[in-house]
Amino acid sequence: MEILTVENLSKNYGKIQALKGVSFAVPAGTVFGILGPNGSGKTTLLGIVMDVLKASGGGYKIFGAAPTNQQRKQIGTLLETPNFYHYLSAVQNLKIAAAIKGHGVEDIDRVLEIVNLSARKNSRFSTYSLGMKQRLAIGAALLGNPDVLVFDEPTNGLDPVGIAEIRELIKKLSQQGKTIIMASHLLDEVEKVCTHVAILKQGTLITHGDVNEILVNEDTVEVSAPDISQLENILKQLPGAGKIESVDKTVRIYFPSGTANLAAVNQFCFNNGIVLSHLQLKKKSLESKFFELTN
Amino acid sequence: MLKLLKTEWLKLKNYNAFIVLSSFFALGVFTTNYIVFTVNKNIVNKVNAVGLGTSFNPYDFTRTWQTTSYATGWLLMLPALLLIILVTNEFNYRTNRQNIIDGWSRQEFISVKIALAVITALVTTLLVIITALTFGAFSGTSFAMDGFSHVGYFLLKALSYNLLAVLISVWIRRTGFAIGLYFIYLGAENIISQLLDVWSLKLRSESKIDLGSMGDYLPMNASDGLLTFPDNPLKSMAKANLPTDYTWLVIIMAVLYVVLFYILSRRSVVKSDQ
Repeated sequence: MEILTVENLSKNYGKIQALKGVSFAVPAGTVFGILGPNGSGKTTLLGIVMDVLKASGGGYKIFGAAPTNQQRKQIGTLLETPNFYHYLSAVQNLKIAAAIKGHGVEDIDRVLEIVNLSARKNSRFSTYSLGMKQRLAIGAALLGNPDVLVFDEPTNGLDPVGIAEIRELIKKLSQQGKTIIMASHLLDEVEKVCTHVAILKQGTLITHGDVNEILVNEDTVEVSAPDISQLENILKQLPGAGKIESVDKTVRIYFPSGTANLAAVNQFCFNNGIVLSHLQLKKKSLESKFFELTN
Repeated sequence: MLKLLKTEWLKLKNYNAFIVLSSFFALGVFTTNYIVFTVNKNIVNKVNAVGLGTSFNPYDFTRTWQTTSYATGWLLMLPALLLIILVTNEFNYRTNRQNIIDGWSRQEFISVKIALAVITALVTTLLVIITALTFGAFSGTSFAMDGFSHVGYFLLKALSYNLLAVLISVWIRRTGFAIGLYFIYLGAENIISQLLDVWSLKLRSESKIDLGSMGDYLPMNASDGLLTFPDNPLKSMAKANLPTDYTWLVIIMAVLYVVLFYILSRRSVVKSDQ
């Protein structure tokens, strides 16, 4: 079953188009990353799904049906910033969230324990550090142990230990069979915790699907010889090679991650009458992949 | 609705500004009326004794409802101020978003704020009734319900003040700007109202056209105009030259403005991005 289906969703802020006809579906049980640089429309998209923003066009379905308030009560959501009453304590704030969601107060201690805020549970929200505020927001999302969680930049403001803890928590929740929709501009984060990804750029959906297919980490072998065109023609017959392209006075051969063998490339060229003047393995970083996708 | 109000109470009961402003208002109602009571007793009656008029006690039964409603009406900016703070807090803390994310509909979010404004108006009216009864009891006259309609006018004024506060809050969203605009609007409307009243007088005396006091047809002055201090002998003499008091028209307009404020507030929250 699809947890969320987004159909041709658009959002305009005056002349600015924040979302341009975005469509994708989030299958149940996945950790679905929405990846994109700042201003790409991630929060706008989740804001529409959570009914705090009005779509300019298109629509969406939650649990395969038209959206209702009841559905939102079954989803734990952290959207953009931790939103709490500054003058109330963590417990008092969570009582309000629980009352709106229609839960009792019995779950409050459990979620505060998960996000390590038990010791400060009676302190005012205004006295919390940025990281503590973020953790409280994650705790609030966990109230009632929902099967679907929406996290918008969940590691914002957290220290490295906090980031690692939240990533572990997300993995643990995923292992329990929960569906997690996570927006992030951190490719590393998406790559580490997500099973699926949708990539947004300036409001346009560039691609979406299995994270291992989209964020495939290729090896690039760069070679050069006096006769570049002859080299390029010969390399097209190289076994195991992916895409081949000529860049400046070199030829780049792309291999699936970890399969490039420099000795085999050298031997192949030599056997075909070409002596290489340049041979180099270039590991493509995830960042460069991200730039390639979004630029 | 009861469930929504219980949740709203969770937000209020530990909020210092709510406790302080509510206490100030309750104290203010008693103090203001006490001052009017004392001033009248010590000064007005002494002036009257010199021979300018007959004995006049504004807290006599039949008059106490009107006097208490009128005097307390001056304090209605305090609950309105509290409502502006409460509603704009939601936007400042972005909890308006969170309430909706957690499962309230936009209608539920605005309905509970409107309900809060109505409950505040009812509580302040109850306070007026208790105060009127208390001061009436001290006047030495026997209980009478005559003039109780002024308590109804007070409720209408409280509703106008509170719902305008909610409307400006959902439009402006920033506490400081909303409070500023609220008071600027009250001031500006008052000036325009007085100019319209002067024009009404002129029309009546020069052209013999009696449209009533037109200043009373403006949103806040409609409910303000209904609440007046009881006619003392001097005021009664001056009244003969004033335009006719079309009370029912003013009541209808005041009710219509309350409904308009409600519709506009609701529309703003339901239709716009949060």
